[in-house]
Amino acid sequence: MQKLSYKEKFVQMNKEAKASWIVAAIVIAFWWMAGFGIYHVWGAEWTILGMPAWFVVSCFGSWILCVGLVWFITAKVFQDFELEDELPVVDVSTPDAAGKEETK
Amino acid sequence: MSAFLRLAPVFVFFLVLLGMGFYVQKRSAAARAEDYSKDYFIGGRSLGGFVLAMTLVATYSSVSSFLSGPGVAWQKGFGWVYYASTQVVAAFLVLGVLGKKLAVIGRRTESVTIVDIIRQRYQSNGLAICSAVVIIVFFTTQMLGQFIGGAQIFSAATGLSYEAGLLFFAAVVVLYTTVGGFQAVAITDTACAIVMLIGMVCLGYAILTKGGGMAQIMATINEASKTAVETGTGFDMLSPTADSAGIPSISVQLYLTQWMLCGVCTLGLPQSGVRCLSYKDTKSVHRAMVYGTIVVGAMMVGMHLLGVLSRGVLLEVEGSTDSVMPTLIASYMHPLVAGITIIGPLAATMSTISSLLIAGSSAIVKDIYLHAKETKQEPVNQKTLGHLSLAVTALMGIAAIGLSIKPPDIIVWINLFAFGGLETMFFWMLLLGLFWRKANATGALWGGIGGLAAYCVTMALNIKIGTFHNILIGVGVGFFLFVLGAHVGRQNDEKVHRLFFPEQF
Repeated sequence: MQKLSYKEKFVQMNKEAKASWIVAAIVIAFWWMAGFGIYHVWGAEWTILGMPAWFVVSCFGSWILCVGLVWFITAKVFQDFELEDELPVVDVSTPDAAGKEETK
Repeated sequence: MSAFLRLAPVFVFFLVLLGMGFYVQKRSAAARAEDYSKDYFIGGRSLGGFVLAMTLVATYSSVSSFLSGPGVAWQKGFGWVYYASTQVVAAFLVLGVLGKKLAVIGRRTESVTIVDIIRQRYQSNGLAICSAVVIIVFFTTQMLGQFIGGAQIFSAATGLSYEAGLLFFAAVVVLYTTVGGFQAVAITDTACAIVMLIGMVCLGYAILTKGGGMAQIMATINEASKTAVETGTGFDMLSPTADSAGIPSISVQLYLTQWMLCGVCTLGLPQSGVRCLSYKDTKSVHRAMVYGTIVVGAMMVGMHLLGVLSRGVLLEVEGSTDSVMPTLIASYMHPLVAGITIIGPLAATMSTISSLLIAGSSAIVKDIYLHAKETKQEPVNQKTLGHLSLAVTALMGIAAIGLSIKPPDIIVWINLFAFGGLETMFFWMLLLGLFWRKANATGALWGGIGGLAAYCVTMALNIKIGTFHNILIGVGVGFFLFVLGAHVGRQNDEKVHRLFFPEQF
């Protein structure tokens, strides 16, 4: 497992959040194109297993695509690191208690 | 005999759930003596990937995923499955975007609830109290909705009266949640998710065999759609917009907002967010993203597709489309298999209730009571805290059961706003709070309350923009007010920024 400082963890987590949004965007785009796109061109004439192709490709396709992409980013973009930190526990919930840091 | 066969699997399942609750209570006695709220409300940050995924999905999939959703799909056809499939992003997005930040900051600040995090980020007691109150109100009404739905299925399937069904199954949920706390909720949710999948497979098998195979079923559906298009009554089951008399019943605008309501904005649901504070390590959250997406897709696409296909078995139903699934289970399945299948929707209900109950209780005990104690710097006895937590959870559950016996109209009405209301209140507060340094208490308060008010008022008065769902108004107004408030109000201290945005220093 990688050793990251508190700051480095946040740089990494921002990257991971961005990757998650990109996956969502790709899935949404695919979903629209597959569903309305196929229906626009072929209507309900083209069928897969008796069901309309626009439905099969958009619903099952988006699902499989989504699982694949999520697997890909968790393997390639997401990194393992320690969630606990060596830094002291803080409580910043009150604005006036300036610098009230306690070590536990 | 058939009544017994139908009830037996349900009884066994209930006993297993209760057993899990008491087992967890016993096993975590030591951990609770040390830090009661950490163990009771988030299970001591110990969830692994599989359980995390299952509890997230089980909490999210409610009675409507098993009952009303497939019922409408029976009527409207494939368009409704397409509509429901937007939920495929609901599992990984919250974990991928908020999951680790909440986990890291939660550990650093010893936060146990989402309101704890809000308190740290925005340094505002008023905002924290508002958030806790919104959570308590909406969670209680949502629980009620689930109790009502669950009791209806239970009585339809077993022949017991509504009240008897309610008391019986509700008592089980409240009991195991109360004694076992969050960890019991997570483990029972996992059991629930598994039986939901089993129920779905049983149901699929029954529909395919009773309907005479896929070809036969699709022929029936094609016939029904053809008649609908020709006569202008009923829905074109084969089109994505499910046209009725040439008018789309699911418009493109509605699809757009469905991606917000059941897709992207589920990020803001506090019952999902709190799960980000409860897992063990980064491996768990990575795995949960993959497993969660697999299960949520299987369940949402699968159940709604079964709704469509059940048209091949049932051409007509009496009453509302909600009765499609119970009728199917009660009339077309072997009693024992029906008993196993009926656990599916019950489990969907119970897993949602348990999560709402434990999170609602944490809002009272941790966010309001314990915080008041800390402010007054009074010491907290872990044993007293234990008794109090159990009492609040039990009372909240009992109150919800009591109200569901004869549900007051006002609560049924509030429940309509609960899901979207929670999203409009917390979506920007969590997302911008964790990713935008300028976000502050004024923005969060204006955006949260303003968005929530805009959403509820337009919903109540039935004010609409085109055919968009009003979530668009709620989230839109919320965003505008949030940004406005952030520019008007005072910025948070540097120590908050150093905690939440260390990468910018």
